[in-house]
Amino acid sequence: MVGGPQTHRLSNGGLIDRSAPLSFRFDGKTYVGFQGDTLASALVANGVKLVGRSFKYHRPRGILTAGSEEPNALVELRSGARREPNTKATTAELYEGLEVASQNRWPSLRHDFMAVNQLFAPIFVAGFYYKTFMWPAKFWEAIYEPAIRRAAGLGRAAGVADPDHYDKAWAHCDVLIAGSGPAGLAAALAAGRSGARIILCEEDFALGGRLLADGGTIDGRPAAEWISRTLAELGSMPDVRIMTRTTLFGVYDGGTYGAIERVNDHLPSPPEHQVRQRLWRIVAKRCVVAAGSIERPIVFAGNDTPGVMMASAMRTYVTRYAATPGKRIALFTNNEDGWRTVEAALGAGLQVAAVIDARPDVSPAHRSLASKSGFTVLHGSVSSVEGGKDGVRKIAVLLTGGARAEVEADGLAVSGGWNPAVGLTSYHRGRPKWRDDIAAFVPDGAPPGMVAVGAANGAFGLGACLREGFEAGAAAASDAGRNGNAGAAPVAEDEAFSLTPLWRVAGKGKAFVDQQHDITASDVELAQREGFESVEHLKRYTTLGMATDQGKTSNIAGLAIMAAVSGKSIPETGTTIYRPPYVPIAIGAFAGHHRDEAFHATRLTPSHHWAAEQGAVFVDTGLWKRAQWYPRAGEKDWLESVTREVKSVRGGVGFCDVSTLGKIDVHGADAGAFLDRVYINTFSNLAVGKARYGLMLREDGLVYDDGTTSRLAEDHYFLTTTTAKAGPVMQHLEFCRQVLFPELDVQLTSVSDQWAQFSIAGPKTRDVLKEIVDPAEDLSNEGFPFMGARKVALRGGIRARLFRISFSGEMAFEISVPARYGEALVRNLMQAGKQFGVTPYGTEALGVMRVEKGHVAGPELNGTTTASDLGLGKMMSTKKDFIGRVMAGREALIAPDRQVVVGIKPTDKVRRLRSGAHIIPKGQTPGPDNDQGYVTSVCFSPTLDQWIGLGLVERGRERIGEIVRAHDPLRGEEYDVELCNPVFYDPDGGRQRG
Amino acid sequence: MAEFSWEVRSPLERALVAGPFGTRGDAGVSLTEIRNFDLIQVMARRSKAAHMAEAAKGRFGVPAPDTPRAVDAADATLIWSGPDQFLVLSKSGKHAIEALGQAFAASASLSDQSHARVLISVSGTKARTMLAKLSSIDLHPDAFSIGAAAATSIDHTSVTLWRGTDGPDGQAVFNLLVLATFAESLWHTMLDAAAEYGVAIAHSEA
Repeated sequence: MVGGPQTHRLSNGGLIDRSAPLSFRFDGKTYVGFQGDTLASALVANGVKLVGRSFKYHRPRGILTAGSEEPNALVELRSGARREPNTKATTAELYEGLEVASQNRWPSLRHDFMAVNQLFAPIFVAGFYYKTFMWPAKFWEAIYEPAIRRAAGLGRAAGVADPDHYDKAWAHCDVLIAGSGPAGLAAALAAGRSGARIILCEEDFALGGRLLADGGTIDGRPAAEWISRTLAELGSMPDVRIMTRTTLFGVYDGGTYGAIERVNDHLPSPPEHQVRQRLWRIVAKRCVVAAGSIERPIVFAGNDTPGVMMASAMRTYVTRYAATPGKRIALFTNNEDGWRTVEAALGAGLQVAAVIDARPDVSPAHRSLASKSGFTVLHGSVSSVEGGKDGVRKIAVLLTGGARAEVEADGLAVSGGWNPAVGLTSYHRGRPKWRDDIAAFVPDGAPPGMVAVGAANGAFGLGACLREGFEAGAAAASDAGRNGNAGAAPVAEDEAFSLTPLWRVAGKGKAFVDQQHDITASDVELAQREGFESVEHLKRYTTLGMATDQGKTSNIAGLAIMAAVSGKSIPETGTTIYRPPYVPIAIGAFAGHHRDEAFHATRLTPSHHWAAEQGAVFVDTGLWKRAQWYPRAGEKDWLESVTREVKSVRGGVGFCDVSTLGKIDVHGADAGAFLDRVYINTFSNLAVGKARYGLMLREDGLVYDDGTTSRLAEDHYFLTTTTAKAGPVMQHLEFCRQVLFPELDVQLTSVSDQWAQFSIAGPKTRDVLKEIVDPAEDLSNEGFPFMGARKVALRGGIRARLFRISFSGEMAFEISVPARYGEALVRNLMQAGKQFGVTPYGTEALGVMRVEKGHVAGPELNGTTTASDLGLGKMMSTKKDFIGRVMAGREALIAPDRQVVVGIKPTDKVRRLRSGAHIIPKGQTPGPDNDQGYVTSVCFSPTLDQWIGLGLVERGRERIGEIVRAHDPLRGEEYDVELCNPVFYDPDGGRQRG
Repeated sequence: MAEFSWEVRSPLERALVAGPFGTRGDAGVSLTEIRNFDLIQVMARRSKAAHMAEAAKGRFGVPAPDTPRAVDAADATLIWSGPDQFLVLSKSGKHAIEALGQAFAASASLSDQSHARVLISVSGTKARTMLAKLSSIDLHPDAFSIGAAAATSIDHTSVTLWRGTDGPDGQAVFNLLVLATFAESLWHTMLDAAAEYGVAIAHSEA
């Protein structure tokens, strides 16, 4: 179906390309617009007035503005996975094939069943959630909330993953400029000529700001000429970056700014390899805010009728887009600027029905315009608008002096004055100040390095905008150290300014303050009567200004009405706190590349790809991917695989990649003394060629981390940490070295990534190692005793480090080679160990063997346990000082009834033990008073053929053999368990020493 | 008894597929992994910084950097890595840890990082644009001149970044040393950032 003619398009003029028609669909109907249109301007050009239904009352709504402040014309763009709700038609660029659906209506926009909500309007008043849905509490989730969500609300999310990519980037400049209106372009010109690096952000796809609609004369020539000349000059400068479709949305510390670039929102889908949007973090020495101002509505009955439009928006549609919102329009203004819309409308051949001017007087020039053009000027205010989903029909006017009049028109332009866009300047808790002469809030200072100019600073005249922008641009460049010749400033005249404040006209019928959240003037009054008089309370009680437009057209009117009803001045009433973002930002843009598999960085061990080839199942441990177990064909579940791996190690030999452990080179003449201070036990007396288990405390006396540390030379120790604490321990040691003990000669280097390290364990370990280690190396118990550590040569020429340490409780070595040999080592171990049935094992089997052996790990080193709790109290040296020594002696940390590590096994041998189960004395009622601890780690022990575990239990070591209850309310289980020695396997350690 | 082969394998060996990637046409970004290098961390012993600097000058003929810079010597690059410490990057074993041990015996501790890092060189007309997605550092020619270096982070990964001498095509060359176990992850992030500009992927073994 081909769309009909553009009934409301002028035959010439406008910044649209009539040679590039674009067809689009709105609620299933096809229309045609032109390149250069926004969706809103294309709808206007096609005579579409009804665009959406309102949030609570489902009232028909049209297009109010022509910018990102739009509260009403929210639509769903595109379809399927790319469906994007709540998009402002006023900022969406038209493209060929754009699909648009209206929101919040059923079954259709014109016949919305939920418009019945209007009949219940009395209950949807301020605070209605608080008043209506109080009891019973359980109804909230089940009934109230779903019902409210169905009846009220905005668009629908796509419901499936976003198929597009987003990314993030950094940019740096001397001078950042927000806005490309006259002030912004003048600032860029001055800063650029001074030699500054510039970034200019413009949220529109076209540059020029209000000049695009309002034109004017600059340096004696039409504004459009000045824009193209300025852009050409800026384009010739090497360090000027102009970013269109980019909104500066936030101001952060240290001169950092957030901006969102809608890179490809104006296309049906981003080209291959390109992103939809890009989030920019811009670091700028100076920032010039030339973000303009927002025209504000006047609140009167029926002011939400489609066809009521901001005056500036109406002339934007007429002049920039050559689209006419009405055939016969009226203007309601309280200021001089509104009249420009009349001029634009007349210029486009529209009929002007009347101008309703709330000021006491109108200039002679306007009077003669009125008489020449044949429309009346009414002194007074619009008291109500009659109309509906087809638009405005009749306008009721309350004349100064009390008489009434009526105006017949199909469009009403409204101007209540202008509010400078004070968002960016207020994001560091700035509070704008009130200026009586323009009846508006203007920035009162700004975050460091930032200045507001032009309309954003309350300077509304074109001449003033150019002047302020140019001066600020030159000053910003100079502050950034760029002092080139800025040349002459562009010159223009200032328009006349005259305004009589008017916020609200009393009248019958709903008069909307916040059109997006359906907040009326009477809601504001009700809030005041109920005591919610502070603007912050007003905001939260009524939700005024809390919609996706953040109250850009409503906040000031709301607080002005509050000021009036509470008998205060507007500055006394004040503004709410301004917070970023200035416009809604897609979560995808904040995530950027970091989604799905790339959610966070991943660390791979040297044997990762080999393990993947073997079919290993991986587990995420922190950033690491570790082989969890290596399933074999025919194994029915993980437990069967893990049990096989454990049995293979205990009965033969296996190996496991332990490269994830933190590894730190500790060098220096005082390395031993340094380690004595950070570990509770002594390392200065460790012989070269030996390893020792060490335990570190935090400053507060609780256990920090553990691991083995080996002495490779007099002045060189090799320290290992747990996988989880590798980074934190390195930081801690650096802090100790640099801050606590600067007098020591110690150097630290992380070598975690330098070494591929494998544990080889089981009675046949030596047999495998002998195959791979140079025959000259003595691996016998005498030649390489338990806790030995030294460099060895491997067959084939490379050097390795060998440590005779055991986590599994078996005869075991850890072998490390430079990381790029890691994969070769695994393959060689498989080859060398084939005849001995060597078995790779994963972290599950590792965990099973450590529980069987009673070794503590993460669940026990949990930040609440002392060395003594872990059964390692005797390691605390009494002959030296160490970090945590004093605090570890605190009363509660040495109390006799502390929960300590103990072994736990169910009395019923076939019962599965679960971690997290609480330990309760037999015969007592579970509860906080009787809770004596909990199960920290469990495993199925193939060796004992039953589930076993470790726990932290009150006085556990004194209660070996006692039967207690394991209480597990999470899984609804309760059963008897026996407290036992935590070392279930080979308690005298003969196997690891053999 | 069996003999064993000890092939070195770069952490990027599987992820790196030499050739074009991303948008077709002239590649805006070249990513080249440089393999088989020696990288030694040199850290002054307590109050031996001046001594270490002297030893470095003697060994390399150039003073070791004492600010965040990378200094090219005849057969090595010295890269600042912190107060009183620097990295020695070299090829062909001439400045491997055994070789440096003697030169710094009295003044510095050495730690071998040759296998702990992956070295990636980034160049091309879009190199800066692409790196701006990854690094918070200002790489403008005026702000990050040849020899500028930074110990920084990219994609939450610790990275040493420096600007080498410009390539034969006159384009800037940025070198990244990334921790080996993070390398594959960062590589994918880099490809993602570069794809829209077209990428030429290569590796050099020598």
